[in-house]
Amino acid sequence: MNNILETKGLYHDFDGLQVLFDVNLQIREGECHAVIGPNGAGKTTLFNVITGTYKPSKGQVFFKGREITGMQPCDLCRLGIGRSFQITTTFSRLTTFQNLRMGILSKKGVRFNFFKRVDKMEEITRETDDLLRRINLMGERNFPVSALSYGKHRALEISLAMSTDPDLVLLDEFAAGMSRDETHNAVELIKKMTEGKTVVLIEHDMDVVFSLADRITVLHRGQILAVGTPQEIRQNQEVKDAYLGDLEVNAAC
Amino acid sequence: MINKIKRWLPWAALIIALAAVPKVFGIYYMNFFITFAVFAVFSVSLNLLLGYTGLLSFGHAMYFGAGGYGTALALKYIWHLPLLPALSIGVLSAILLAMIVCPLVVRVGGTAFAMMHMAFAQLLYVIALKSRFITGGEDGLANFPIPPFSIPGVVSFTMEGAPSNFYFFAIIVLGASLWLMWFLTKTPFGQIQVGIRDNAKRIDYMGFKVTHAKAVVYIVSAAFAGVAGSVYAMFQNVVSPDGYLGLLVSFTPIINTMLGGIASFFGPVWGTAIYALIEEVIFRFTDRVELVVGIIFVLVIMYAPLGFSGLMLKLKFKWLMFKNKKMRQAV
Repeated sequence: MNNILETKGLYHDFDGLQVLFDVNLQIREGECHAVIGPNGAGKTTLFNVITGTYKPSKGQVFFKGREITGMQPCDLCRLGIGRSFQITTTFSRLTTFQNLRMGILSKKGVRFNFFKRVDKMEEITRETDDLLRRINLMGERNFPVSALSYGKHRALEISLAMSTDPDLVLLDEFAAGMSRDETHNAVELIKKMTEGKTVVLIEHDMDVVFSLADRITVLHRGQILAVGTPQEIRQNQEVKDAYLGDLEVNAAC
Repeated sequence: MINKIKRWLPWAALIIALAAVPKVFGIYYMNFFITFAVFAVFSVSLNLLLGYTGLLSFGHAMYFGAGGYGTALALKYIWHLPLLPALSIGVLSAILLAMIVCPLVVRVGGTAFAMMHMAFAQLLYVIALKSRFITGGEDGLANFPIPPFSIPGVVSFTMEGAPSNFYFFAIIVLGASLWLMWFLTKTPFGQIQVGIRDNAKRIDYMGFKVTHAKAVVYIVSAAFAGVAGSVYAMFQNVVSPDGYLGLLVSFTPIINTMLGGIASFFGPVWGTAIYALIEEVIFRFTDRVELVVGIIFVLVIMYAPLGFSGLMLKLKFKWLMFKNKKMRQAV
């Protein structure tokens, strides 16, 4: 199986504070891969280094066999990497429709166009409406985003990451702060939206992790502790000691 | 068909009204109106940065001044320069200045952006003040010839001694500028602009280059400030450091925009009109215009942060709620 994303010997430090030590992550094409670990393990930093927010202090990142170490987020997006954030990052004063249209515009390569009114681009409007229907936000089409409920706002955040139709989606704690129902809806949404795509997600909710992930990487103090299928991870003694504890984790959810 | 007529009717009425101004109101109000139109375009060009892209500039006068000085210098030193090239030279000098400055300023935002502009504008002010042999120093340049508007072999309108001709020229140029800026905000690029204002990080992660987009908006904004400055220079037939590059010139469009409302495209136009009217009225009672304008400005910031157009929107909303309630009661 091909690795769509690979990191080789990745190190990162913030002014002397070492956060990542020799991380060798391998994401296979088409899988749903979860990165878990205690707070401060370096999960979000790993995402930031991969998606170009930070440059790694050492090591390389490969996407589809091509080196992307230190590339700008906008260039990575054009290569086919989408990302959602732990802190909701949407265009708060625009409507839901306008938010998603931004992604469709990017996907179609309509960037520096000064000659046509965006409202009159029927293809763009149609595709945006299709997307709105797929994510069940048609009823909120013309609401300013700041008026959406938390769950819907998070759903929009996830959809924004996917609106540019990337091959690889990185989701940073998408279920943080969601109620049980909202989490359930979000998981369904992700299952529906990511068919045929590769997904990497950071998550603390073990029910979500075990219901979505094909493989799991456990990060602990900036190092990879274990990699494996959910079954293997659950039985791994080291992981239990570091993170999961001895609680019985119920995967049937 | 009826709908189409209905849609174009207000515009037709506006054009007729504008065309009738010289005949109906005479020269004083005609000049008043040209000044208003110049500052409306200047304010809207600032709002492209402030309201649409979220960048506050304390030195937008540098582009107004570049336009004004560019045109004035060209008319003074180039013999028999036609009207449109003179205008273009003003606009191009503003664009050139913006292109020099933009690699630096698009990388910053917020306070740094604002203060950096104040510094650049003051720098330009001092240059205009000190290079006396070229710019005339404190006195500025005056009495440069205003060429006729002519398309060789077709028409020629003289500008000197025919104020209504200049009025039409100015209104057409400034009206076209307004329309172009309005159109820009409606294009996909305009969407990227408001996206940067709301969330530059997300724009970056969606595959748009933030610094490039900012640079383009910045240059466009500078160009239209240049148009305003250039037309104003030809209208007044004088340019001076205080009238074109001073700090007050930078703050005028900010005050206009805040009074009219940063959240709407035509807000700054309303703001300019309100400011001009307030000034006109207060002058009849006292010379301390700034004092009164300052108090009004404070009140606006405190009680109507979205300015006049925000207030109108609020009233409209209230009215709709009121009507809704009444209808429900009737049922």
